[in-house]
Amino acid sequence: MTAVIQTEELGKRYRTRWALAGCTLSIPAGHVVGLVGPNGAGKTTLINLATGMLAPSAGTIEVLGGRPAAGPAQLARVGYLAQDAPLYAGLPVADHLRLGAHLNPGWDAELARSRVERLGLDPGQKAGTLSGGQRAQLALTLAVAKRPELLILDEPVASLDPLARREFLQDLMESVAEQEVSVVLSSHLISDLERACDYVIVLADSRVRLAGPVDDLLATHHLLSGPRRDPASLPDTMQVISASHTDVQTTLLVRTSGPVLDPAWAVSEVGLEDLVLAYMKQAARPAPRKSHRRLEVQK
Amino acid sequence: MIWLTWRQFRAQAITAAAALAAFAIVLAAAEPGLSGVYHSSGFASCHGAACTGLASTFINELASGAGIAGVPETPYMILYFLSVVVILIAPAIIGIFWGAPLIARELEAGTFRLTWNQSVTRTRWLAVKLALIGVAAMAVTEAFSLLQAWWAAPIGRAVGLGGSGSIFSETRFGVFVFPTHGITPIGYAAFGFALGVTAGLLVRRAIPAMAITLAIFAAAQFITPLIRPNLLPTSQTVATIAATGANISLTASPRLVLTATTVPGRPGAWIISSDGVNAAGQPVSSVPAACERLIPQGFVSHRGPATSAPGPHALSNCVAGHGIRVAESYQPASHYWPLQWSETGMFLALALALAGYCFWRLNRRRT
Repeated sequence: MTAVIQTEELGKRYRTRWALAGCTLSIPAGHVVGLVGPNGAGKTTLINLATGMLAPSAGTIEVLGGRPAAGPAQLARVGYLAQDAPLYAGLPVADHLRLGAHLNPGWDAELARSRVERLGLDPGQKAGTLSGGQRAQLALTLAVAKRPELLILDEPVASLDPLARREFLQDLMESVAEQEVSVVLSSHLISDLERACDYVIVLADSRVRLAGPVDDLLATHHLLSGPRRDPASLPDTMQVISASHTDVQTTLLVRTSGPVLDPAWAVSEVGLEDLVLAYMKQAARPAPRKSHRRLEVQK
Repeated sequence: MIWLTWRQFRAQAITAAAALAAFAIVLAAAEPGLSGVYHSSGFASCHGAACTGLASTFINELASGAGIAGVPETPYMILYFLSVVVILIAPAIIGIFWGAPLIARELEAGTFRLTWNQSVTRTRWLAVKLALIGVAAMAVTEAFSLLQAWWAAPIGRAVGLGGSGSIFSETRFGVFVFPTHGITPIGYAAFGFALGVTAGLLVRRAIPAMAITLAIFAAAQFITPLIRPNLLPTSQTVATIAATGANISLTASPRLVLTATTVPGRPGAWIISSDGVNAAGQPVSSVPAACERLIPQGFVSHRGPATSAPGPHALSNCVAGHGIRVAESYQPASHYWPLQWSETGMFLALALALAGYCFWRLNRRRT
């Protein structure tokens, strides 16, 4: 299977600040990929690079084997739902569907019509007067009905209330199941993605911190708790992601491909949310060696 | 893409069509009156030399409001003035309301993310929009111009034959007439539209882009008359004061101004400058001492704008008698269309350059 998104040392700089740096990814096809990270982590930048809305400052990116937005054929293969679901406020729902039909050779009019009907949208209603949830649904309809191979959604549920959020994700999952389409969706809330995604990418501080299928990640991460001890004494096969200590007890999140054999540890499974948060926290913590170097310079 | 362009442009297109229709109706309603004066003055059916006098009669009757009873001000003057102004500002209006929001509003509302991610490249998106709306802009402006030219044809003919009065004094080379007739409105419309689009793309917000469009377009309209005389090489000639029909006037500096009204043997020529020269061909800027006593009372001390002297033939004859002649720089009447093409071509080239820049930037800068 080819990668839906393949990047090599991809970076995007705004003046002096790198919004995304050193991003090397290969996302296989057939997944629903969750792109998580705190606000400002570079999620939208990565998505804009993947849709060709931005040009990279460094490295390369290929989407479905082609340069993003390289031509009509490439554009037709990628469906994109931008943040806040932009629509023409003055145009009615029906005209948005007409727009999709006129601008996309692969337009599935039947799919679009039945979706709008099912969602209960009035074709004559102007997009500007739709509710947030309806706007998102209409924008998703436009993105889905062009029959893309890859669907990219940027914070699709950020502005929705919890009920609309659940409905939107459910509807998205149904559409994904019906059509064979890969999906990349971003969110700063892991709980949104937990239900929907089977592949996760954690972005923090402009860098990719973690990427992989959810099942693999959960299988290789363990929460260890036991009597207090120094994490450095662990075997080399274990990578400590986070550690917390009380006076008598140590709790570690470790990544290891093998089983945990040391009987001193009580091993438990880790949830996706805790796992993702641990990686985000790791990014927020300054690397020890770096700070050491800085001290030397100050002397 | 054509459908979307039309759908988004529909309201503006209807507005423009309505404005054009209103313009046509007003001019058509005033046409019988104008035509009446044209015929009743005898100018319509004149032949040969008689036309010069009748042209003046016709213009004077128009300027004095003949033909419409009970209206003290002359509606023809007002209508002529307004119709020319409409053609002058139409390209600016188009640039502001069609051009500036074209990309800026998409950027402001975020809808470019929707449209540029359909299966249409942004190059094609812009190409269709620029082509369709640009052609509409040129067509509408030229339609205004042709309507006005049709309505004002008798006035144009009379002014061309030397008739002059009030605002009906500009020949077809005039500062207001030249850029509103012939094919120049097409160039201005294309330029105004492309300017608006470019400003919108650079500023990314519609309202400031509109203001910038207006400012730059107005500046272009102001500057063009200054460069227009030099779009083609001018011709020079030196002739007597009598032959050039020069009016003599005195200003503070220089003290002698000779304003030529014709170029001998070149009817309908556009006089760009006229200066007094002596027998040796050197410029003369003061009245010969021997002629100073002939300067009428109150004529000397006049400062600022030239005081044209209808009366002082004696002064004029004296100056001519001292060998002072008039050096004229002019564009012959035959240069009217070449000048029209030059000016139109200049603005079309500017419009194309701006459009090319928009394509380049849209693809290079991404969002």
